Amino acid sequence: MKLKLNIKGKEYTVEIQETDRDTVKIRVQGEEFVFKQKKEEEKVLVAKSSLPKRDFKEKRIKAPIAGIISEVFVKEKDVIKKGKKVILLSAMKMENEIISDFEGRVKKVSVKKDQKVKEGDILIVLE
Amino acid sequence: MKIKRYKRVSSTNTLVKKLKPEPWLVVLAQEQTAGYGRKKNYWFSPKGGLYFSIILPKSTIDDLQTLTLLAAFVVAKVIKERFKVEPFIKLPNDVYLNQKKIAGILTETVVGSDVKFSIMGIGLNTNIDTFPKELENIATSLKIELGKRIDNEKVLKEIVKYIKKQLKTISE
Repeated sequence: MKLKLNIKGKEYTVEIQETDRDTVKIRVQGEEFVFKQKKEEEKVLVAKSSLPKRDFKEKRIKAPIAGIISEVFVKEKDVIKKGKKVILLSAMKMENEIISDFEGRVKKVSVKKDQKVKEGDILIVLE
Repeated sequence: MKIKRYKRVSSTNTLVKKLKPEPWLVVLAQEQTAGYGRKKNYWFSPKGGLYFSIILPKSTIDDLQTLTLLAAFVVAKVIKERFKVEPFIKLPNDVYLNQKKIAGILTETVVGSDVKFSIMGIGLNTNIDTFPKELENIATSLKIELGKRIDNEKVLKEIVKYIKKQLKTISE
């Protein structure tokens, strides 16, 4: 039996197969788990390990170096992909295109054009 | 030293960003139609000048910053030793000769959680005979100052050699 489960907005493909009278094989996203009846602890194991952890933490894009914000390329609520150019930061004669190493939705843009920033200052918060 | 040569490009920095990041690859152009400096300031780039960009190897952003600051010293040193003149460095990154700008350097990086790509673009006014009116009081060329033609190729190789050496020293 094959079914799709939607857990917290993510879809999982689950395949359940009875291999013999008291053994059930469950495949979650290609990963196989074998259960024997009346073995409670193994069921617990599935619940813990088979569901991929989701990172609900905010992701912060920080200034890699002190400088001045030359340009901001995103605004709040923008959904951005990994690799998207978000900020142009000028540091002396070095122009730094800050790209996002994460995907997500822009929760907050903490800087404005021409603003001075220090190394480590939060520029953009994603959720 | 691997050099890719072009007759005419918009800007060597713009072009090099589209290439595979091969460390120390040099892109050299005879002229730039849209040469730029910091904050996209226009860089007058007619035929005769020396315009090139170097793809820098993977380094930390601090090392790149230091290298950027040292690049002006490298350009000044090469001009000084080769042509026996007294260039002046206007920090952070312009080189002047007789109170007029002769070279500019712009380093551009792409940074995420670490540096993905970095390039250094250098524009040196070598064999430029005349500047437009709005620039003639603020820019000069080696040819104007020395009254002779400059071998761009030799100057280029020397600058790249010193920059390599500087980065090696910084990152050690």
